[in-house]
Amino acid sequence: MLSARSCWRNASKTPYRHARYIVAAEGRHDSLDAIISFPDTQSGEGAEEEQHGQATISSGLAGKSIAVKDNIVTKDLPTTAASRILAGYASPFDATVVKLLRQHGAAISSKTNLDEFGMGSHSQNTNAGPVLSPYSRNGLPLSPGGSSGGSAVAVATEQCWAALGTDTGGSVRLPAAYSGVVGFKPSYGLLSRWGVIQYANSLDTVGVLAQSVEDARQVFRSLDVFDAEDPTSLPVSVRQRMRLQNSGSGQLRIGVPKEYNIQELSSSVRSAYARTLNALLAAGHTLHQISLPSTRRALSAYYVLAPAEASSNLAKYDGIRYGYRTSGPDALPKDNLPLYAQTRGEGFGEEVKRRILLGAYTLSSEAIDNYFIQAQKVRRLVQQDFDRVFAQSNPLLHADTSNSLNAEGVDIILTPTAPTLPPTVEEVKRQSPVESYMNDVFTVPASLAGLPAISVSVPLSGQEREGLDEHDVNSVGMQVIGQFGDDESVLAAAKVVEDLYY
Amino acid sequence: MSNVTLRLAPATLTRGLSRITSPTGRIPRPCIVSKWLQSRNLTVVAAPIQEAIPLRKHLKDEAKRKRAEAKSNGGTKPHAKDSRLKKWELTVGIEIHAELNTACKLFSSASAEGTDGVANTRVASFDAALPGAQPHFQVATLLPALRAAIALDCKVQGKSGWDRKHYFHWDQPNGYQITQYYEPFAKDGVLRLHASDGVPLADLNGAESIEIGIKQIQMEQDTAKTTHHRPSTYHIDYSRAGHPLIEIITLPHVHSPQTAAAVVRKIQMVLRSVDACVTGMELGGLRADVNVSVRERGTEGTGSSYSGVSGLGQRTEIKNLSSFKAVEDAIVAERGRQIDVLEAGGVIEGETRGWTLGATETTRLRGKEGEVDYRYMPDADLPPLVIGQDLVEHLRSTLPELPSETVERVRNLYGLSLKDAKTVFDLDDGDRLEFMEETIESVQRKLGRTDIDQLEIGKLVSNWIIHELGGLLTTTELNWESMNVTPGELADVLVNLHNKHITARVAKQLLSTLIETPASARSSVEQLIDDGKLRLRPLSEEQYQAFAAQIMDDNPEMVVAVREKGQKGKIMWFVGQMVRRGEEGTVEPEKAREVFDKLLVV
Repeated sequence: MLSARSCWRNASKTPYRHARYIVAAEGRHDSLDAIISFPDTQSGEGAEEEQHGQATISSGLAGKSIAVKDNIVTKDLPTTAASRILAGYASPFDATVVKLLRQHGAAISSKTNLDEFGMGSHSQNTNAGPVLSPYSRNGLPLSPGGSSGGSAVAVATEQCWAALGTDTGGSVRLPAAYSGVVGFKPSYGLLSRWGVIQYANSLDTVGVLAQSVEDARQVFRSLDVFDAEDPTSLPVSVRQRMRLQNSGSGQLRIGVPKEYNIQELSSSVRSAYARTLNALLAAGHTLHQISLPSTRRALSAYYVLAPAEASSNLAKYDGIRYGYRTSGPDALPKDNLPLYAQTRGEGFGEEVKRRILLGAYTLSSEAIDNYFIQAQKVRRLVQQDFDRVFAQSNPLLHADTSNSLNAEGVDIILTPTAPTLPPTVEEVKRQSPVESYMNDVFTVPASLAGLPAISVSVPLSGQEREGLDEHDVNSVGMQVIGQFGDDESVLAAAKVVEDLYY
Repeated sequence: MSNVTLRLAPATLTRGLSRITSPTGRIPRPCIVSKWLQSRNLTVVAAPIQEAIPLRKHLKDEAKRKRAEAKSNGGTKPHAKDSRLKKWELTVGIEIHAELNTACKLFSSASAEGTDGVANTRVASFDAALPGAQPHFQVATLLPALRAAIALDCKVQGKSGWDRKHYFHWDQPNGYQITQYYEPFAKDGVLRLHASDGVPLADLNGAESIEIGIKQIQMEQDTAKTTHHRPSTYHIDYSRAGHPLIEIITLPHVHSPQTAAAVVRKIQMVLRSVDACVTGMELGGLRADVNVSVRERGTEGTGSSYSGVSGLGQRTEIKNLSSFKAVEDAIVAERGRQIDVLEAGGVIEGETRGWTLGATETTRLRGKEGEVDYRYMPDADLPPLVIGQDLVEHLRSTLPELPSETVERVRNLYGLSLKDAKTVFDLDDGDRLEFMEETIESVQRKLGRTDIDQLEIGKLVSNWIIHELGGLLTTTELNWESMNVTPGELADVLVNLHNKHITARVAKQLLSTLIETPASARSSVEQLIDDGKLRLRPLSEEQYQAFAAQIMDDNPEMVVAVREKGQKGKIMWFVGQMVRRGEEGTVEPEKAREVFDKLLVV
């Protein structure tokens, strides 16, 4: 019997991807710009072995090469968050997740490209050159998704075994969907953020990109520990409570939110979604229509909250202690030069500046009540929406969950990860910023509620692929969302979806 | 760039680190960050050690400047002001920033202690705002803050929060300060002030004390320290960045510059007595901002309302006052300026103003349009601060005595006047009081009697410590720290005096000898008395009378002055003569006085 993973590999590899992989392996400059930095090659394999040698925990990760998104700090490689403002920045410490990977014997193979500071959905807003998808449409390259596009492409083209990404509003799930891999965003607070460069710290989550659900689960379990360095890391007591209440496997009660059936949903995505739901029904699971009425406002709330936090988190980049600094004078009070304006103006890209300005405005005393405070209220409503539909109660709200099971509730929610197949990068360029924010409409609600969510790729049928050339994508991402802390059930359900096809 | 040796974390750091909870200890040590800063080619130099100007010198200079000003103004200005104050009423609210006495910073394990003069040695990743570093609230910093809140009668909040206050400055590494804007940890306190605290009688209005409301106390981070090296170099020392501060905000309940200074002085005293605060105001441990407004008496001003107090005039804020004197003078100047503007038919603008020592006017720093919008936002990395009532109660029950309580106790126990009790408490950071209590205890032990009136001993000892010892220190130009007379020695002297074994004159002489002789070369008090043959050998009544008659015979003109011209004061001259001419240790002035009274007045 073939394992799911080998089936998956056999099924998913196109001749094109194979070719790219060989090219990538031969010359790192043609890695589809998925990679920003590699370890020093001088020491060659020796260095890699040395890294393996550090393993202190016996683990399935031993010897595996894992790429790390370049907004997660590493001691041995520069960390730039794909921003000019952090050009050449060398961190004096490793992020906790990187330290854990090393302890499990994994080799940190490279730092992957991203939208600057994680701000973007197509990995095009980067100081290191836009990331290219391995797929194209009529000769035009497709969007690899973002912001963890580098990690997704590196996994899709086997430049690494798995990769870490970060997910603030869908930044792991969307590129996974567009690049045909698995992308898992755990519950907020499970994986340490110590050493993860903040974009919107109430939403930022470390996520895993891998070829299969099983691989993603393995990486996730290696990192799923309390970390005292991260003040938002869930304490051991809460983790224990959550472990007790994980939904069992077997027959799944699957929620189908009516609000996700939007006008913008493309026909191929709609068709693949319906086909998957039918297959699950046929496999003995039950489907339940649910309502998440705040979904429509979630995207707006996200694009108020995330930029607000970004404007605060990015205030530290002033070119004084580290990073890029303008060549001329800046910050000279006696000449009345505005503080750091020059340095920050040159160091940040357009999208980052746009979000900083947006955030600075929504936090200002004249606007905070209408924007930031309202958005926080919407966020609360989104959380309440989810709490209402899940069978499990939210372990953060109820310490005692033994008798609070909602019999009408669902175990997981299944939705498409994105409303359409990936656009071409040319289309992305023509989009207004607000249009490109639309890509996140299905991923943002789970982020606002801090819920575990995973994107798993299902192959497009011949009919759904109609009109697409052979270099175009051959899969579409489906998203599984679970109750807070119910990460294992989400992974199990994703495995069920994966097993339908591979 | 010159290569400078970087001192590693000082020894105090280990103590600081061991006190805080860091289960994994994986936070990069501050010294690593220092090295890292150095690798970034940041200048790491020994900051010039700033010598603290002694308060007395500071005040003296102040007074000198004032006198010079008064002269140049012809001394008429104060009167002009006074008459206008009948019409205009001043209102002041005060914000005081004080550095907490803690071992570590507010959100990192870096040490908050030590002034080794080397810059950037006490900096953790978060203090330098390194990418990916997060704040870790250090619970230990809460204790001095809570002691301050309890001492100022505040209600400690069960739950409070942390907010980011945004503004760009190089001394603010994160681009924001973490403070408690929306939910401070302590609210609704009160400060009670008496005339003896420096409140003018007019403010007391017949009452024994006034109450100044404390709106709230919040914890927050200090900034890095900048030193300017002219013409255009600034050195930044991040060792101070992230130090815990408390900001104490009073209600606008203050109506005179003197009371404002008294409030700051009293708060400083309270903070020090409960060990909440590191240094006094003159050393930079305390800074004050004041909000000043005036309104015509009996009116609602401009109808402005601050912290729930309404009917006030438009206020201005004067920032960064670093001495009591500056607080008082800045308010006097700003009150005058506002009255000038209003009497000329003008309007006060809400603005931020500055004050430099010795100036006569406040200066405009920025107007409303120049105000920074701080964009306050809850810090999503920090969980709410939850404080249990049991902790508050425990701290309350173990709180050191407050200044007012100490003064009250000293008055009741030892019979000191309010003035003497406050004086002895204020002297030498409380050392003088401690010395006094030890001496009193020693005297009682040596007398071996418990029936003796403690009030009498207390008065005797306090008198000698405040006045005789104080006087000797002045004439010998010694300071308290270098004075090495022990309470036991003073007690020996005073026991002899009390038992009339020596005269007061001898007692003074002994004390003076003790002060001037190094401790190692001194004999015991008893030995000194014996060696100097100083023990009192009382004269009989007859001997006194004969001695007195002799002195009167020698000075007939003085006798005439007393007897015929009625100059009774001259009796003391005769007493003095007898003390001087008598053999050491024989004449008691009281007895001599009795004798001369009898002989001269009859």
